[in-house]
Amino acid sequence: MTFFAFFGAVELGLVYGLMTMGVFITFRVLNFPDLTVDGSLPLGAAVASVCVAGGMNPFFALIFATLAGFLAGTITGFLTTKLRILHLLASILTMTALYSVNIRVMGGRPNISLLGKRTVFDPVFSLGLPNYLAYNLVFLAFVAAIVAILAWLVKTEYGQSLLATGDNPRMITAMGVNTHFTIITGVGISNALVALSGGLVAQYQGTADVSMGVGTIVAGLASIVVGETLFGTRRVTGAIIAAVLGSVVYRLAIALALGLKFKRFSFTASDLNLITALLVVIALTVPLLKSRLKKRKKGAPFGKKPC
Amino acid sequence: MLRIENLSKRFGKNTASEVLAIDGLSLRVSPGEFACVIGSNGAGKSTLLACVSGATRPDEGKIVLEGEDITRQPENKRAGKIGRVFQDPLSGTCASMTIEENMALANRRGKPRTLRMGITKKEREKFREALSELNLGLENRLRDPVGLLSGGQRQSLSLIMATLVRPTLLLLDEHTAALDPKTANLVMNLTAEVVEKEKLTTVMITHNMRLALLHGTRLLMMHRGQILLDFDELSKSKLTLQDLLEKFDVALPENNTAGVLSDRMLLG
Repeated sequence: MTFFAFFGAVELGLVYGLMTMGVFITFRVLNFPDLTVDGSLPLGAAVASVCVAGGMNPFFALIFATLAGFLAGTITGFLTTKLRILHLLASILTMTALYSVNIRVMGGRPNISLLGKRTVFDPVFSLGLPNYLAYNLVFLAFVAAIVAILAWLVKTEYGQSLLATGDNPRMITAMGVNTHFTIITGVGISNALVALSGGLVAQYQGTADVSMGVGTIVAGLASIVVGETLFGTRRVTGAIIAAVLGSVVYRLAIALALGLKFKRFSFTASDLNLITALLVVIALTVPLLKSRLKKRKKGAPFGKKPC
Repeated sequence: MLRIENLSKRFGKNTASEVLAIDGLSLRVSPGEFACVIGSNGAGKSTLLACVSGATRPDEGKIVLEGEDITRQPENKRAGKIGRVFQDPLSGTCASMTIEENMALANRRGKPRTLRMGITKKEREKFREALSELNLGLENRLRDPVGLLSGGQRQSLSLIMATLVRPTLLLLDEHTAALDPKTANLVMNLTAEVVEKEKLTTVMITHNMRLALLHGTRLLMMHRGQILLDFDELSKSKLTLQDLLEKFDVALPENNTAGVLSDRMLLG
């Protein structure tokens, strides 16, 4: 792997790490397989791009992208709680609807170019840093800020009730928490992070595309599973950081695979889905194999919900 | 205190398998009363408790708690007044969260969840104190996840959690039925102790006639969605298991005890 390929992969790992944290909230905290993310990532990209293209400050554009993602998540939450649609189906419905919404947001076009527009990277570029450092610096700042916010949030009364909603809804209802509220806001926060990630990706790649969300959920799951396998911890905050690290490792693994050459055969970008699926399978099987090998020793590691 | 008027609940309405779980039941529980409800499978005990806790909406009737009509109030809203312990020890606690986190959730029963810290230092002291009364050594394991505890420990913890904020009404749904006899005894004695000490108004469902005779200040027997027999403290204290069986025999129109009483009720 070249020097630039390595930094490129780390950049992607960090920026999609924001998305991974969002997926973590639904998939691991709320126990909610949420496919909305395949639509809210391009939604964030579309909203941020339209705002930036319209001359808005790129940071404010990200705030609007985040809010749009939150709204998309609350719709999925509303469908599954108040209208009692199966969570997976509710999220697929929102995702499908978002495809149309995203094109509307971009003024009827399937993509928007941000060439020559101001982005969040400009202030760092103006310091004279090389590109690969500038991108990583900005992404790292965003990741650090979100990790800090989430680490605080899960310790609050609200955050604790969110954790409990995913663990034991019956119990937390008996403790006076409205689980509809926690699910709606929880899925909202998750998709807000995914849309933030999408908005940053759009500014980073200089374009928003309606199809850029395809496979978001799989990449998010792969990152979470890789993170758990390599850096798994029991504490929530540790698990969130592990998810981000998993995202980086995941992108590095892909970069590595894309750089492999066997005589005349090499992987192409379109092989990515196959590689991802294999990666998830391997990552999910490792703990199983480990526990089979250690069968005589008692007990599986605590706190890991089966996928 | 608790007033239930003409309560009815049907399951599977307008289907071939329609069941009348509660059939025009009326009941008053006075403050400080510890009522044990017995009855065989399908008598409607659990449905009655579900209607009171809000897990199920009754079809007809009224439930009034401390003068407030709670019949249509959502389950989480009335949780502030009602403490509950479930039959399944896994139901009352969050396995992936620590003992202190679980207790902090219970310590906010009925209060709005804000962005303030989920556990405060002061609370930890309160939790440690409450746990030390269990004599299970849990007071030194505040940061252990609840999933590491045994069923009996989890049920004892659930009981402490249900009473951490004094409930207007304590509902116990066969909360010792899933435990081994020795642990069940332990949890039952703890229950009696807590209810006595705090003078809690309590409704306890049990399958076990012996338990119902041993504990509580009132004994109710349910059958087919109605209250068949009702003994107050005095008449209950004179009651023996044999009396109870005979009275039950007489009270039943079909006069067919074998079909109504399961072995578990007699022996359990």
